[in-house]
Amino acid sequence: MSLALPLLHQIEALILASDEPLSLQRLRDLTGAETTDIRTAAAEIESFYADRGIRLVQVGGGWQFRTAPEFAEVVQGLWQTRAPKLSRSTLETLAIIAYRQPTTRAEIEALRGVKTSSNIVAGLQERGWIKVVGRKEVPGRPHLFGTTKQFLTDFGLNSLRDLPDSSQLLDEDEIQQIITDNQTEESELKDAEAQTTESSNEVYDDEAEA
Amino acid sequence: MSEALQSAEPPVQGNPSDQHQTAHPNLPPVHLDAFEGPLDVLLHLIRSQKLDIFDIPIALITAQYMEIIEGQAALDLEVAGDYLVMASTLMQLKSRLLLPRPQLDDEGNEIDPRQELVAQLIAYEQYRVLAEEMDTLPRAGRDVFVRSIFPESDEVERPLPEADLDALLLAFRSVLKRVGGEVRHQIFTETISVREQMAFVLERLKAGGMQLDELLQGYPGREALVTTVLAILELWRQHLITVVQSECYGSITLLPQTAEDDA
Repeated sequence: MSLALPLLHQIEALILASDEPLSLQRLRDLTGAETTDIRTAAAEIESFYADRGIRLVQVGGGWQFRTAPEFAEVVQGLWQTRAPKLSRSTLETLAIIAYRQPTTRAEIEALRGVKTSSNIVAGLQERGWIKVVGRKEVPGRPHLFGTTKQFLTDFGLNSLRDLPDSSQLLDEDEIQQIITDNQTEESELKDAEAQTTESSNEVYDDEAEA
Repeated sequence: MSEALQSAEPPVQGNPSDQHQTAHPNLPPVHLDAFEGPLDVLLHLIRSQKLDIFDIPIALITAQYMEIIEGQAALDLEVAGDYLVMASTLMQLKSRLLLPRPQLDDEGNEIDPRQELVAQLIAYEQYRVLAEEMDTLPRAGRDVFVRSIFPESDEVERPLPEADLDALLLAFRSVLKRVGGEVRHQIFTETISVREQMAFVLERLKAGGMQLDELLQGYPGREALVTTVLAILELWRQHLITVVQSECYGSITLLPQTAEDDA
């Protein structure tokens, strides 16, 4: 083994040669180096490539070299076909599955307020972005869907925590709370308005009396 | 509201004189194809008019919603279902809001009949926004590309495992072991020499011609037979004997070469 070579270069070579993102575990097995050393080296490679045509990114639980997004158009020229645009219905379905997994088709439909065509779900499964992760123990035992590692890799996410604004997502209870709060404010406002009207009436009455 | 229901013609853009007749003077004409369902339409109406989502003017929204639905030339039956369900929900809300006595919850507070719809709208809007944000993430195959193999590239070469002679021998040895002991091919030196047999054949032919069958009769084994035939061929090559076959598949006669024949 070429342990004399810097770990940095070993890792760089390994990540380039790998077909899929290389996990920390794999890098440790392959180089025999310590976790902290690998992390340091990876961070160094990352900063080295920060302003180059390719970038080192952490996706799907590993490191991968990718072309920089700003060269998307010129790189697309390599192929005849362009990546098809995702429809809004597909994106919405995928977003609901990603943020609410595991979830059923009925839940997706309830949230979107429309029937989700089986084509959309099948299409997402075909792309390898979602998979059936189990069945919900309710009548009919519907499939529960979740996202895959491929989804993370393709969307440039290292884990589900990296989904945009996932921490700000409100659950049903929080939404109910907001609605209740807003309604209380409104009714208070209305009460206040009513009082103002009353008092002005009083003033008017007083004047009339006067 | 009543104005909206009366306006039979579709909303016309850029004609200020007509605008007061429609329920949504500032809204451009919309087509349902652009929407992802009834919730999407409602959110569009609320957000584009900057209405308070917590205090939706149900009467106004219902009128606008109905106008959009009725404005569609033809509705796909499957799609129409969802839109019509929402239409009836809106109608029901409108009528419930007209009730003099509101429903009360366990604690005696007024229940806003719109509450459920608002919750649904907020929940949906979150995912609508998140879906848009997800679409802006640099996506592999669209914005960023990896060096690995693409399905688009038709010439994909995968290296074959390198051949290893030692491994092959080891594998073979283990097979042999399984079969039971090593198998060897033994080679023995010939017991009868061709030269010896040549002399023997010449000796037999001294008396005259002889059938091949006759000559080969009584030989003990294949080895001796082969040696004899080799001897005959060698003698023939050296013109010491003549081989005669009168017809196809007929018997073969061996004749000693005489001096007269040579001449």
